[in-house]
Amino acid sequence: MVVSATYFDGESARNRSVDVNEDGTNLTFSGTDTPYTSWSIKGLHAIDAPTPGQPYRLTHEDKSGARLIIRDDVFIKTLVSRSSHLKGGYSSRDIAHIFGWTIGGLVAVAALGYVAMVLLPDKVAHILPETWRNRVGSQMEAAMAEGAKLCHSPAGDAALSAMITNLALGQPDLPAISVHIYDIPVLNAFAVSGGKIIMTREILAKADGPDEIAGVLAHEIGHVAHRHPEAQLVRLTGMQVLGSVFTGSNGGDMTTNIAFMATVLRFTREAEAEADAYARDTLVKSSIDPMGLKRFFEKINKLEGGGGDKSSAFSKLGGIFSTHPGTEDRMKLIEPLPAGVVAKPSLTNEQWLALKDICK
Amino acid sequence: MPPIDSAPEKLNFAYVRRPGLWKIMFTNLGMGIITLTVWHFWGKTNVRKHIWSCIHINDEPLEYTGKGGELFRGFLLVFVIFILPLLLLTAFLGFYLGPQNPAISGLNFLFAIAGYLLGGFALYKARNYQLSRTNWRGIRGNMAGSAGLYSLTYFGNILAKWFSFGWATPVMNVVMSEQMIGDMRFGDSAFKFKGRAGPLYPTYALCWFLTLFVVIGGIGLFSYEVINWFGTGLSDAFDHLFKDKEGVKPTVEEFKLIGIFMLGLVGLIMCYVLIIPALWAIYSAKEMRTLANYTRFDGAQFKLNATAASVIWLAVGNLLIIVLAIAMAAILLFGIGFLAAWMGLDKSTAVAILIGIMVLVIYQGVWALTRPIIIQRNISFVFKRLTLDGAVDLNRIRQSIAARPTRGEGLADAFDLGAW
Repeated sequence: MVVSATYFDGESARNRSVDVNEDGTNLTFSGTDTPYTSWSIKGLHAIDAPTPGQPYRLTHEDKSGARLIIRDDVFIKTLVSRSSHLKGGYSSRDIAHIFGWTIGGLVAVAALGYVAMVLLPDKVAHILPETWRNRVGSQMEAAMAEGAKLCHSPAGDAALSAMITNLALGQPDLPAISVHIYDIPVLNAFAVSGGKIIMTREILAKADGPDEIAGVLAHEIGHVAHRHPEAQLVRLTGMQVLGSVFTGSNGGDMTTNIAFMATVLRFTREAEAEADAYARDTLVKSSIDPMGLKRFFEKINKLEGGGGDKSSAFSKLGGIFSTHPGTEDRMKLIEPLPAGVVAKPSLTNEQWLALKDICK
Repeated sequence: MPPIDSAPEKLNFAYVRRPGLWKIMFTNLGMGIITLTVWHFWGKTNVRKHIWSCIHINDEPLEYTGKGGELFRGFLLVFVIFILPLLLLTAFLGFYLGPQNPAISGLNFLFAIAGYLLGGFALYKARNYQLSRTNWRGIRGNMAGSAGLYSLTYFGNILAKWFSFGWATPVMNVVMSEQMIGDMRFGDSAFKFKGRAGPLYPTYALCWFLTLFVVIGGIGLFSYEVINWFGTGLSDAFDHLFKDKEGVKPTVEEFKLIGIFMLGLVGLIMCYVLIIPALWAIYSAKEMRTLANYTRFDGAQFKLNATAASVIWLAVGNLLIIVLAIAMAAILLFGIGFLAAWMGLDKSTAVAILIGIMVLVIYQGVWALTRPIIIQRNISFVFKRLTLDGAVDLNRIRQSIAARPTRGEGLADAFDLGAW
């Protein structure tokens, strides 16, 4: 069956009229200004799926720039019915490719995510130089404190040092820390990079004895010892890289935006458990009654995680009191000192009163 | 070579809609969610294939021959050599100097400048890729000039517009078109662009002063009304609302006052959002007509019959499509939120899941379901109004000998320059 068609040879824009024929294996055509050409049907490729009444456009693997445009519906139907690869759309090979890329891509992203979010943060946190950790920590502390007054009094400072010394008695390899108390009416305590621990006036006000504060402090020292704040910073960087993969752009300045960091830097449940374990261990080794920490937890749990001024960056930071279902399980793990160990007060009564009044 | 029989033809443009775009859009939406947006490159390619095939010149459709993989490789390359090092450098400095160090802001400023410099480069390269993947009568296009040169013009254009309060716009747009259109080739035949910016200035001045008038007039009128209607009551009400530490709460009356004020403010902003773009549509239409007039191909001159009303209608329609899509996404989102609350999910888990779904659905839904329609509207707008005065000797046009780029648009994608 011979039909007329239009041929563009891919070398000039000239519109050529040709007569086309096919014998099941080859498609042949020729015209007044087109020499006799034979294309194998196997090598044909349909530009679009055939649509009745619409021109059907073909090309060939040996001449990918050329186009043969056939308008005869019967001819097209015969040709396509014998060669399913000419139906256009996605071939099974295309679909396999797409799925391969998709699955491969997802696996790559998952692997990247695992490395950036799970594997790397802990490793990198432990090799960050001291000076870097301190610099970042100082800036974060300043940003978190939002200009609040740093509480100082000679007796209060001495009491705080005494409490740290008492904790260090049982835990000689206590990491280097600095503890600052700010005049902030929000109940919170947290550790930032570089061993900087920050507590609020409110946490001292809510505590009914030094052991409660010693417990909270031991927990925060646990975060410092495990380098949780540093690991979170690395994780944030990882998040940004992943985010930019999906949006195809530099996802903004996440790592330099303190307000944003504050909202995402909550420690994971595993990190909280590690810090708790460290606190329990330290308290027992220093003979300080761990039930103080438990009492404080219970008290705070009833208060539903602090309250106060929710709009400040300080309260957005999860800190020690982020309420999630794990809190009660965490409290259950805190046990009294072993039988036979005599509890030592973490501060004398005088020291405790001085510490409580440090912001006055 | 046989002698060429010259036979100039008149060219007619048309946009012939055909079914299939919705199917592509919903496939893209689904695949986008399944592949966590990686499908983007293939989806974009499928949309282009469809839209290109609707553009008919003398009843012969354009053909888009690009592949999703080419765009994907372009993206990967830019990601690896450009975005990733930048991210890592910022992160490194954040750790080294601390996140609040002014050097980081300085660095970000430098990156922004580099971004503007690369913007023109990206646009030019994207245009080259698209032309090299556009076939008509078996002949493809290309860009014959230098992307580096264009990026300088583009950067100069940003500075000039900025420092002249916009007054450099007509000149710079003519200069950039001269470079961009003048470098365009179809096969071995060049587009030519020649013309002055002068004729654009009366319309530009009209729109510029009208905008100034609307802005100043609007603010003046609004302030006058606020003072006359509300007097000092409004400032008291705001004091009570924001300084409630003194224990004084705003009264019901004061709340009403604040409400009316806010409504007025929203009304004013809406007026600006609608009036100012409508004003500028007058200039846009004039500029489109003029730039088309300055463009020639093989001696034939282009004409674009764009009126201010048609440009406004195009823009309003596009805006409505986006608003509708965002509204639907918001409804869907609230639905998911209620579902999560109803299932009694823990708050933080629910929020995390919600944010994840939100990003995917909004990004995918709004983009996958609006962008193709908007592009179709824009392209069909042009090809329904475009004519070519004069005849073109198509028989003489030979295939382009420029090398086809093997990857596409990575940079343009990274800067989201809308290079569809």
